[in-house]
Amino acid sequence: MSYTTDPARIERNWRAITIELDSPRPGRLERMLQRLGLPTDVSRLVVATPALRRSWFVALGLSMLIGLLATDAAKPRDDLFVLLLIAPLVPTLGVAMAYGSNADPAHEVGLATPMSGLRLVLTRAAAVLGFSAAFLALISLLAPSAPAMAFGWLIPSFGLCSATVAAMTFMAPRRAATVAGTLWVLGVLIARGAGDDPLAAFTVVGQVLMAVVAVVGLVVAVQRRDRFDLLAVR
Amino acid sequence: MSMSQARPRGGAAQILAFGLRKRLDGTEALSGVDLALEGGVVTVLGPNGAGKTTLLRCLATVLAIDDGSLLIDGLDPGHESDRIEIRRRLGYLPQDVGLAESVRVFDVVEYVAVLKDIGRGSADPARVRRHAVHDVLDQVGLADRVADKTGELSGGMKRRVGLAQALLGSPSLLLLDEPAAGLDPDERLRLRSIIAERRQRATVIQSSHLTDEAATSDRVLVLVDGRVVFVGPPAALAATAEGRTWVQHETPGPVRASWLQADGSYRCLGTPPAGAQLVAPTIEDGYLFLRSPAPTH
Repeated sequence: MSYTTDPARIERNWRAITIELDSPRPGRLERMLQRLGLPTDVSRLVVATPALRRSWFVALGLSMLIGLLATDAAKPRDDLFVLLLIAPLVPTLGVAMAYGSNADPAHEVGLATPMSGLRLVLTRAAAVLGFSAAFLALISLLAPSAPAMAFGWLIPSFGLCSATVAAMTFMAPRRAATVAGTLWVLGVLIARGAGDDPLAAFTVVGQVLMAVVAVVGLVVAVQRRDRFDLLAVR
Repeated sequence: MSMSQARPRGGAAQILAFGLRKRLDGTEALSGVDLALEGGVVTVLGPNGAGKTTLLRCLATVLAIDDGSLLIDGLDPGHESDRIEIRRRLGYLPQDVGLAESVRVFDVVEYVAVLKDIGRGSADPARVRRHAVHDVLDQVGLADRVADKTGELSGGMKRRVGLAQALLGSPSLLLLDEPAAGLDPDERLRLRSIIAERRQRATVIQSSHLTDEAATSDRVLVLVDGRVVFVGPPAALAATAEGRTWVQHETPGPVRASWLQADGSYRCLGTPPAGAQLVAPTIEDGYLFLRSPAPTH
């Protein structure tokens, strides 16, 4: 029995084997995301999000710890105020740190690729929001108040992140987050001062309002998506 | 311009620009640039602030032009769908590659492969991406550094990582902003080989301060104050200083440019004095002659 071998085919196969062997294994976070069912390209985009660094997770933990320590079971409803005020700001800052030439070293390289800037922004914002929400949920479960109210930050977080992304089409990401965050804090404080309920901003009316902000923010970002495809040099 | 007027993919990209203008920080970075390029290697020379980076950014579609018209393969970067199609055909190395120090070389290039949609439509896109990443890292001589963090690399190696990501997807338009910056002589030779290998199937535009790089290109474009003052082959650039380059031993008077050479003589550019010892101009002479204003008496 004789065998014929195609040297070119052997070479191709050998190269394929060495490439598989030489390619570094994805990191722990990326492997975890892939196990959760995320496609390999999306998991790569998520782990490349500049905001998702150890320092941000530490800041996230510390800020929420402060919010949690400020809670007081002896004062019904008042106890959650600081936690609910701070919580939506955390992912908002993360979103600002996830995009733009100041945050992403590969920003200009990324702009020159066919990947839509809006898709990249939204993927990263979703990643930041997802990690923040998981973390905040854990913290909220530790709050002494009823768990339902302790999750009052969720919809405002969406609203604030969406507003920040929309504002990023007008100004630099960090400024956008600062403006959105300042308006949020002012709004919550005004609502608190206007009535007897310290959590007035987190009632149904407040939640609906923030849901509307989230939708409007997304619409504005989609309408002005060209701004995410160009370098912000003035 | 619609997608239907686009040139098909494959072959070197065609660039047609007319009256390109771009203002940055209140000053005109590009003041009416006209270009007609297709294939080969073009080196953009010019002093700092001449508009080289702005021109490459406009061609890379990351900066929108303020005025004029720009078509790349018949596609208008002002339209979203055209811009995306241009970017599919593009490889871009910016002046600042932007590498996160703690990220592995492989991951940096694979991330760009994801952004470039490499492997789109294949049964196993991740496998196609891995092969593409290894191919380009092989080409730039970093096949054995795939698992190293970019912070562990020398400046020249980081530049090569940047070049590798630009080569992904066999672009028909390769834009390289100072690709030779920080490269040692061996690395520069490798860069020249990589560029030369692509000149048949891509339009390669590189900016440089080094006239050596211009000498090995098909055409040279000289930008001064946002305007194109010369486009042509390297020999024609040298010829612009023909009969206007001389050497003298005494300190020169008002000339366009002069510099002291190692042998103690002055090399001068401008209108030669009577009896001057004319010499054959180099590309550098031609470039300096064009970019230097005539002396005021």
